Amino acid sequence: MTVPVTWPSESARAASREESRFRITRPLAPARNARVIALDPAAEAVARRVARGPWAKARFYTVAGAAGDAAAPLLELHGRPAALADILTGTDVVVILASEDTGRAQAAAIGRECGARAITTAGVVLGDGFEADGAMAALRPYARVLLLSADESDVFELLTALRV
Amino acid sequence: MLRKDINELLTQTGPGTPMGNLFRQYWLPALLAEELAEDGAAPVRVKLLSERLLAFRDSEGRYGLIDEFCAHRGASLWFGRNEEAGLRCPYHGWKYDVTGQCIEVPSESDNSSFCQNVKLTSYPLVKIGDLLWTYMGDPATTPPLPEYEFALVPAEQTYTSKRWQQCNWLQAFEGGIDSSHVTFLHSGGLKSDPLFKGSKGNEYNMKDTKPFFEVADSEGGLFVGARRNAEPGTYYWRITPWVMPNFTMVPPRGDHPVHGHFWVPIDDENCWTYSFDYHPVRALTDTERQAMIDGHGVHSKNIPGTYRPAANMDNDYLMDREAQRRGDTYSGVAGIAMQDASLQESMGPIVDRSKERLVPADSGIIKARQKLRKAAIALRDEGVTPPGVDPAHHKVRSAAVVLPVAESFLDSCRDAVTVTPGVAQTTV
Ligand code: FES
Ligand SMILES: [Fe+2]
Repeated sequence: MTVPVTWPSESARAASREESRFRITRPLAPARNARVIALDPAAEAVARRVARGPWAKARFYTVAGAAGDAAAPLLELHGRPAALADILTGTDVVVILASEDTGRAQAAAIGRECGARAITTAGVVLGDGFEADGAMAALRPYARVLLLSADESDVFELLTALRV
Repeated sequence: MLRKDINELLTQTGPGTPMGNLFRQYWLPALLAEELAEDGAAPVRVKLLSERLLAFRDSEGRYGLIDEFCAHRGASLWFGRNEEAGLRCPYHGWKYDVTGQCIEVPSESDNSSFCQNVKLTSYPLVKIGDLLWTYMGDPATTPPLPEYEFALVPAEQTYTSKRWQQCNWLQAFEGGIDSSHVTFLHSGGLKSDPLFKGSKGNEYNMKDTKPFFEVADSEGGLFVGARRNAEPGTYYWRITPWVMPNFTMVPPRGDHPVHGHFWVPIDDENCWTYSFDYHPVRALTDTERQAMIDGHGVHSKNIPGTYRPAANMDNDYLMDREAQRRGDTYSGVAGIAMQDASLQESMGPIVDRSKERLVPADSGIIKARQKLRKAAIALRDEGVTPPGVDPAHHKVRSAAVVLPVAESFLDSCRDAVTVTPGVAQTTV
């Protein structure tokens, strides 16, 4: 004989393990069209490794080789130049990787452009951060979040969590 | 989002699980000292990390935390008689001391050595501040006692309450480092709660509802800085420390006492939320203490004689749609503690994190999960002692400051986020 379960309230029943089974389980589409931009050679190395991950919509770029020149185009990882304006079109989150200060001017330029287009920006400062003080300061006004003293796995976790 | 297997890793804390072993590296709050108020007090059932235990204080004032069940035939020792220097099972009279050692088996002859070989599992239980703390790991690696400031200041400067929360510890804890919900969920409280209202910081809080975040490692865990616009050229920063695995503090408001939490797993579907309020340099006023007892601020009004909140899932948290409409409360649930708990419990006993859509503003949570996972795996695979075990890691504070826009919160706030006894908290 089964004993009928009576719940003292709607909330109690709804929060039960039994009811959790009925939550809609339709798979979620990747939510974000992300661009990951590495500002210096060490950041680029991280971007290259992370780029091998199972991303649906993330694309990766670097400014390496054009250090300090805010007007220089970005490069796709296999070297093709890409204009910032094109990269940002249709994008809804930009993740900027920095490990040192050389990319400060680009950081400010990218941050400003993302700000103007209302694109959410996240900055990831790799290493202990001391070498990237300037890049961090340049990003601070624009980046919705700065992850300090981060490493490669933080980049991976962040992109995974954002479903890019 | 979080993969299912990682979600399981982080949410399961029973014996033998990686997260369970991680928790067993730390001293944890087991119960409030008031629950064993005097020598020979009635024993208290305590379930922690999915182990059923019994706390008691013997006639000599010694504390013990032992297996709830008698070694003879498994009756609950909650029915036990707290006699001279031991707890006696009322079924057949076996008697145990605070270490779980059986000291008398009446059916055996007087000089029998039988009872020497009977010992219940037991853990140390130590009073520090308003709490009784236990360590459930390997006795050989018992760490030094905890040194959290709220537990070390004189009794008149501190107050701790607890409440039963009907969900996994992780979803409760995540609320503690989630600064972005405050301006929404708790907006009513910023205006009216006696332990929150009236600070300059609240104005910044309410004026700028889109904070920016910075997340930085600390020795014991993380600092999460939330930044809002203040006067031109300045930012208002609220800095939340997390000490692994389950200690968080709320940034202060004006000269109000500073609060924080411990989120302690009972089993995988329930946890204890310990809520404390203390002032580093002055006694709590009678009005403040009364407000805490009445369930204001981070505390809850509990059903008398229990640690279950009066507003709980069985009564729909006393949902008040009129108050919600008027804006007295944002969600219709009264009180900061139950505003959090109601939503966290509504996710279900263990939320399926593979269904989340996180945003960059959730980075504190993302990073905390990652640190927990890494620590649990490093402990499992290499025996690495995790951050937060060393009492030096406990000496952190939350802070609220206004800084020039160019300054980094960590560089400017080293002192503010470090405990200096006798020095007041840094607050706006
Ligand atoms: S807005 Fe965060 S859970 Fe709904
Ligand atoms: Fe909250």
